[in-house]
Amino acid sequence: MPTPTLSQSLAITLIQCVLVVLFVFVVVPLTVFAERKVLGYLQQRLGSTRVAGGHKGVTGWMNRGMWKWGRIPVLSYWRGIPGLLADVLKLILKEDVIPAKADKFVFFIAPALSMVSAVVVFAAISFVPGTFFIFPSWFPGLAGLPVSGGIADINVGLLWILGVASVGVYGIVLAGWASNSKYPLLGGLRSAAQMVSYEVPLAISLLVPVVLSGSLNFSEMAREMAIGLSAWGLVPQLLGFLIYLTCGFAETNRLPFDMPEAENELVAGFHTEYSGMKFGFFYLAEYINMTVVSALAAGFFLGGPWLLPFGLQGLFNHLLPAGSWLAGPHAIFFVAKIIFLLFTYIWVRGTIPRYRYDQVMTVAWKYLIPMALFNLLLAALVRCAV
Amino acid sequence: MFKNEEMEINLGPQHPSTHGVLRVKLRLDGETITHCKPIIGYLHRGVEKICENQTFFQGQVWTDRMDYCSAVANNLGWAEANEKLFGITVPRRAQYIRTMLNEFNRLASHLIWLATHALDIGAMTVFLYAFREREDILDLNEAFCGSRLTTTAFRIGGLREDLPPGFEKMARKFLAKFETCLEEYENLLSENRIWKKRTIGVAKLSAEDAIALGVTGPVLRAAGVPYDIRKAFPYAAYAEMDFEVPTQTAADTYARYLVRMAEMRQSARIVQQCLDGMPEGPVMAKIPKILKPEVNEVYHATEAPKGEIGYYLVGEKGSTNPYRFHVRAPGFINLQCLPKMAEGALIADIVAAIGTLDIVLGEIDR
Repeated sequence: MPTPTLSQSLAITLIQCVLVVLFVFVVVPLTVFAERKVLGYLQQRLGSTRVAGGHKGVTGWMNRGMWKWGRIPVLSYWRGIPGLLADVLKLILKEDVIPAKADKFVFFIAPALSMVSAVVVFAAISFVPGTFFIFPSWFPGLAGLPVSGGIADINVGLLWILGVASVGVYGIVLAGWASNSKYPLLGGLRSAAQMVSYEVPLAISLLVPVVLSGSLNFSEMAREMAIGLSAWGLVPQLLGFLIYLTCGFAETNRLPFDMPEAENELVAGFHTEYSGMKFGFFYLAEYINMTVVSALAAGFFLGGPWLLPFGLQGLFNHLLPAGSWLAGPHAIFFVAKIIFLLFTYIWVRGTIPRYRYDQVMTVAWKYLIPMALFNLLLAALVRCAV
Repeated sequence: MFKNEEMEINLGPQHPSTHGVLRVKLRLDGETITHCKPIIGYLHRGVEKICENQTFFQGQVWTDRMDYCSAVANNLGWAEANEKLFGITVPRRAQYIRTMLNEFNRLASHLIWLATHALDIGAMTVFLYAFREREDILDLNEAFCGSRLTTTAFRIGGLREDLPPGFEKMARKFLAKFETCLEEYENLLSENRIWKKRTIGVAKLSAEDAIALGVTGPVLRAAGVPYDIRKAFPYAAYAEMDFEVPTQTAADTYARYLVRMAEMRQSARIVQQCLDGMPEGPVMAKIPKILKPEVNEVYHATEAPKGEIGYYLVGEKGSTNPYRFHVRAPGFINLQCLPKMAEGALIADIVAAIGTLDIVLGEIDR
């Protein structure tokens, strides 16, 4: 395999960045759409499961097809798209109001902070270990060069992820502060306390894969957790996954922990004063954060690009014929796990009510942190003993 | 360097969980409420004064627009108060139909309460499920009197028309599925840990306080006082119905939830009995074209879904209009206990407290 020159590696990195950003901006609208659809089916809403355009044109043709082909669910999944389109159009076209007494610069920078910190995390996430694909021979300038499965498979990947992700809280706090209004201020303060609190058990639960795999590199951790562990590794991994997922819900401000924007108490929380595309940035950032949290959970606990979760792949791999497709890592498994976790987010939102603010804090400090510490101890024992 | 300051905040009049245009002035110490003052009147239309300028027949449409979630119950109170004033006896069939529609209306009102209360606490699925069933009740309203929300369902002396053909079938179909629907809501809420954490011990109001403040309805019954006008002073056909008055003793938000859920079951039972024992006969008493009162004044109280709704009517000799009209609105009286429930609690609890009081601002402001 030829070694790339500097300009070639830069070009490859650029292509990777474009691919990842494309992935993010395909997954996020799809998640928003899925949220409408899944909630629509869970709650028997009519709009998001039936709105389907008119009788003429493309939608008309599809509508007629629906009746002809019977009510096949798969074919009806496009229903509700008009609602999504209207939503996106509204976000883009709406007037961008800045309150007169707001701190204009901070007000402007806050949504960008949220959004950027959410996207940048993806740099350290590798979708598949090693080579993702090799440029075909006809490709100008880059023929035969490999493209790895992540943009920057750095050795301190996890540290980078946690560090950058925690910048996102500034976006929310500053938004609440800069709006110079009471409800956003309350929302911002709540979120500061909540996100800082939940970062502790989140980080501790992520230490479990670090201890078990002995690495901070994303793809190496994913490999170790998926195929390198003994059967004892199962217990801390399962417990860690549950703790991590709970904290993940809190970090992304989703029900049952959506304190910062609890719309029935604080109107819309920290983004009450935001409108137009600035609000859209917070909205996007929330969904990108959900994707990030899901990607980490998928990578460290659900076996990453391997098929089976919780290290089961390593235990059962010898049962598969050597060189079998199912035995190897594939980006499609990784993405499928992310999608399943995103579905879980929506599922939970449709099912349970919201905690009160003080109860949220109780859950973090009294239950999750001791549990996470215990789990870390367990992982250390497994690491030493086995 | 740092100073502690209380923050004053306006909850409403435009706020997603004040159920209309209620404005609550809150003083907050962090997230704890130190002072709470409900401010009302944003929806005042002068219903009582308007009714004094109209004939006894015309007044009923205004009662629709007080508590618009339980228009039928308001209509019933108005019709019965007038019948008391003029000494009219309503035919038995009309009484049964009134009772049935009133109980359907109680179901609709309680479903709205459940929907909004659950949404306030963050359980959004229950909201849509409850509205799904309420839709069927509104369809029944529509089948009976043509309108869904502001029904003007009754006439002084009985009903304008008998039940339409097919009504009984619709009603029975609804009753057949309603029990499973109730179970569906309870599966989502009753044993849900978060729901219990958010409601148990929240917005407590003891029986003594409730009586002192004049609170009626499910809020009073959840404090252990079994006062239900349908049992205490039976009206319409309630004397012939077999039902229980559910009570709880915990006097908190969860107890009120349990009471209202049990009440829905009892309402379904009453409707069933009305359908089964529906007598034949006319639905309208013989009344004169113009009503002029003989008695001077009446007060008639009925059990609306939110509590005691009382109509006070003063008739003037020789006049076709009431001389004085006053409504004892349950929401108005019940709202008084909001500061008692909310002070010292957290900001999230006031949302639960407003939800559990089940207020409708149209009735409070009139």
